Amino acid sequence: MNIDLDCHPTTEILNKYVQGSLPTGWNVVLSAHLELCQKCRHEYGDLESAEVLSWSKGPVEEVANDFSDLVSNIIQQPQHAAADTPLPQESSITEIHMLDHSFTLPRVLAKAANDGLEWKKLAGGINQAKVNIDTETQCEFIYMSPGSQTPMHRHQGNEITLVLDGSFSDASGTYEAADFVIRNSEDEHQPVSEEGCLCFAVLDSPLTFTQGLARLFNPINRFKFRKTIAHQS
Amino acid sequence: MNSAALRKEYPTLRPMSDRDQSAVNSVNARLTAPVDPDSDESLLVETGNSQSTEAFNRLFQRYSSRIYAMGMKLTRNEQLSKDLVQEAMLNVWRKARLYDLDRGTAQSWIFTITRNRCFDMLRKLKRQPNCVTADDIWPQDNGSESAILPEEALHEEQGSLVAETSIIASYCKQLPEPQQAVIEQIYILDRTHDEAAEILKIPLGTLKSRLRLGVSKLRQLIGVDL
Ligand SMILES: [Zn+2]
Repeated sequence: MNIDLDCHPTTEILNKYVQGSLPTGWNVVLSAHLELCQKCRHEYGDLESAEVLSWSKGPVEEVANDFSDLVSNIIQQPQHAAADTPLPQESSITEIHMLDHSFTLPRVLAKAANDGLEWKKLAGGINQAKVNIDTETQCEFIYMSPGSQTPMHRHQGNEITLVLDGSFSDASGTYEAADFVIRNSEDEHQPVSEEGCLCFAVLDSPLTFTQGLARLFNPINRFKFRKTIAHQS
Repeated sequence: MNSAALRKEYPTLRPMSDRDQSAVNSVNARLTAPVDPDSDESLLVETGNSQSTEAFNRLFQRYSSRIYAMGMKLTRNEQLSKDLVQEAMLNVWRKARLYDLDRGTAQSWIFTITRNRCFDMLRKLKRQPNCVTADDIWPQDNGSESAILPEEALHEEQGSLVAETSIIASYCKQLPEPQQAVIEQIYILDRTHDEAAEILKIPLGTLKSRLRLGVSKLRQLIGVDL
């Protein structure tokens, strides 16, 4: 776990996740991080309790409709018995194997990868397997082979990288398993990995990056990032 | 669960009679009924235990406008929000028997159902790929012990259930005796954790851990052979 930088989602993002108001891609990477990070799991629990409380005490919208037909329709339906519940379906892909490493995927990523992963070799020892999750984000697994280096790049919109195995470094630090790394369009970076690194990355799709998400995924990390750079130079 | 298939695998089991069922219900009620009969929790337990339309009606009155409000916040669309009231309350009705006081308040249970149904509804509407559902995305029990027990994963598709059930039943025999006994109590005889622990004369914690072990062993067995 990275000590210098805060490699966890902000409370604001976690709250949106609790409320269910984020695009699916962001939800997926948050869910995967929570499975790997006890601290954020606890924070999630607290935020959810608070949200439930404000939901049940908060203002209600008056419903113009009469729902009485609805109730009588619903109670015609059979109820589930506990024994109706089959065992959960296991995903067919639960592990990713890379060179001599194998890594067990968080549950939600195993589901997302269930249709199979098609790895594509990119420049600099980087491998990429895209996963089609929604239209608002671009999601992909990234495997950086040992000694690899991505070209210096910038993104439109935001990029979240969740480290699953191994580690990578850029100008602001080194990131290890479970780290949740947020970058936005103002950050130019050039990640390198000495030991190799498996990540799951979510990017705003070019269509949506201007729509308010940019405000959400930002400032404190960026501020710290700048300070780190300033110290180094 | 398909009882015909199970009886083939477990010939000594007989289907539960109405009398058995009402005995189970009254044990349920004694074990789980909270004190205030007008609390949301009591109403939910009653909806599940005795299919009480009266209790369900009151829950509906208490929650429909809150569900509608959450719908408006998330979808900004009146029709979708009304659809959400229907979808969420239908789920409350259908899953009421699976509600368990150990899992927290009725409010939080209904909140989760509402948020999750809204998410799935919107994805279907936007024709997003169905690779992940709400139940994959939100943690189901904040890391507590019961989080991986299979009651939580409700699958709506019943199509392959018959085949699955008999396969699962045959794998059950490969489990160690104590795990087998626990799985029979819970999944075949449909007993609650408390009842099963009492019948098998083991502590509740032991029951839960045997159940968890048994289920994960089953998954392994099925994963390897299917
Ligand atoms: Zn965290």
